[in-house]
Amino acid sequence: MADVAAPMPAAVEDRHAEAIAAHRRRRRLGPMFWIPAAWLVVLILAAAAAPWLGLAPPDEIDWMAIQAPPGVENHILGTDVLGRDILSRVLHGARVSLTVGFAAPAIGVGIGLALGLAAGYFRGWVDEVVGILIDAWLAIPGLAVLLLFSAVFGGSLSMVCLSLGLLFIPAAARITRAQTLSYANREFVLAARAMGASDARILLREVLPNIVWPLMAFVMIDIPIAIVVEGALSFLGLSVKAPTPSWGGMIAEGREHIEDSSWISLIPTAVMFVTVLSFNLAGDVIRRRFADTREAAL
Amino acid sequence: MSLLEVENARVAFPTARGLLTAVDGVSLSVDEGRVLGIVGESGSGKSVLSRAIMGLLPRSARTGEAMRIRLGGRELGALPERELRRLRGREMAMIFQDPMTALNPVMTLGDQIGESLRLHLGMGRRQARDRSVELLAAVGLPQPATRVDQHPHQLSGGMRQRVAIAIALACDPRLLIADEPTTALDVTVQHGILDLLQAQSRERGMAMILITHDLGVVAGRADEVAVMYAGRVVEQAPTRALFAAASMPYTRGLLASIPRIEDAPGRRLEAIGGRPPDLVSPPAGCAFSPRCAHASDLCRRQAPGLEDGGATRFACWHPALEAAE
Repeated sequence: MADVAAPMPAAVEDRHAEAIAAHRRRRRLGPMFWIPAAWLVVLILAAAAAPWLGLAPPDEIDWMAIQAPPGVENHILGTDVLGRDILSRVLHGARVSLTVGFAAPAIGVGIGLALGLAAGYFRGWVDEVVGILIDAWLAIPGLAVLLLFSAVFGGSLSMVCLSLGLLFIPAAARITRAQTLSYANREFVLAARAMGASDARILLREVLPNIVWPLMAFVMIDIPIAIVVEGALSFLGLSVKAPTPSWGGMIAEGREHIEDSSWISLIPTAVMFVTVLSFNLAGDVIRRRFADTREAAL
Repeated sequence: MSLLEVENARVAFPTARGLLTAVDGVSLSVDEGRVLGIVGESGSGKSVLSRAIMGLLPRSARTGEAMRIRLGGRELGALPERELRRLRGREMAMIFQDPMTALNPVMTLGDQIGESLRLHLGMGRRQARDRSVELLAAVGLPQPATRVDQHPHQLSGGMRQRVAIAIALACDPRLLIADEPTTALDVTVQHGILDLLQAQSRERGMAMILITHDLGVVAGRADEVAVMYAGRVVEQAPTRALFAAASMPYTRGLLASIPRIEDAPGRRLEAIGGRPPDLVSPPAGCAFSPRCAHASDLCRRQAPGLEDGGATRFACWHPALEAAE
């Protein structure tokens, strides 16, 4: 029998160990992942713990330090026009940005996933209906939806998440549909049916686990997009209402003082830049890794 | 009564050029614990027939009104999908040609075997896992206790086919359909897989349909062989009788094209000239007549029926009744 393992000679075993070590090295994520990931972890933890870090509340006005530059006593990153602590406001603003950054793609991918799975697996009229829905949805201008939603429901964080999330549905549905199509015709799906599995079981146990990773790569692209769009909305005053701090709002508040107190705008801008860049860099590494493992599995 | 009875199986697919008749009136039966070999070239309808038995035809397939498939006396066509699902995996199971794609790449072997145990036999997680290890051992996978937690990409093709067999055997089905189980494997591994299938079917008293394009695969392993051509059974006989004296020229051609170790070196292999017929517009008369050296006007005008000649049945107007030279 050809596939029974025989004891390996030492030389072969050495080469084996070497190959495994090389494989492990390749599997390492490297600094291009860990540095951005570290920033994101610190930011997420700090944002989550912001009220308990002993900072001034984000809306407390320090009359003794109006427009104080970074580095002054009690205000590491300075204060804004109203004398509010910028570090505190950046961290509290991060709560808004990160909430939108995670929730909006989650909503969009959640709905898109369900539509795409159904369309790709059942084909036929389901596929057609979903296709028409997506085409119709794509024909609605996204910016108009965002402006409409914020004008009607304005100021509520959950509405910002929902309206942004809706914009992610078409792409998520199409990616899911394409992936589902390619897996639904694989022999292991037929094999599962031959074992008596129902459609629901096949979708959840056979197809879904295979398409989760390509979708995660898509989510990694959506998160920074959602953060940037939320920033733009709050810059325009269409996201959460003052005094709740948000990065975009902070940038907007500081723009009239850009010549004498540039830090008021620049600090939230820099934090947003680094955060979005970090998501993109870490996402790239994960995507590439995912591509590698897929090749290895096939 | 036989375990599996197929009557008048007819399956067609709508195509751009017209209706393609993949299976054209096939009747056969398999007794409890017996092995039936179905031999035919690509496009002869053997895989479609196996899908029809399992009730796994694509949605676009059209089946004949008179088609009856009975398993253990139950008419499968009359069962609702829910009942049919209960039979699949439990009473009848199937293994496929390509073990590289027949296993789910993201599930461990144990989960894939355990799935049907939990679904059909209501086993718990632990119990299913223990049984999976036993099954992996039964199909000859080395270190089953370690392998059970591995993923398919960690296994060779032959090992994967063994796992696919373990999955199919999990619930002790009464009928196993093996659709070209060794075609995608190395020649050296093929033998081991076929021996395993044969041993398991004997041990469990499980009936088996062994589908292949290679007469060598069924030789010595099947009790009976049915040869399919252009969607029909053209000859069916006990294996020994078929190899000793095939009646139908197509079967004789297949037998003649098997290389023999006694042949002189450099001898040209016998081949059947021409190509299989177009199933959208098959030739009038016998489908094999355009390629047949013995074809007469009668052959080209009227298709021969499957003559019931006792153990041996064949569809030919000019059978060679004497033993093959």
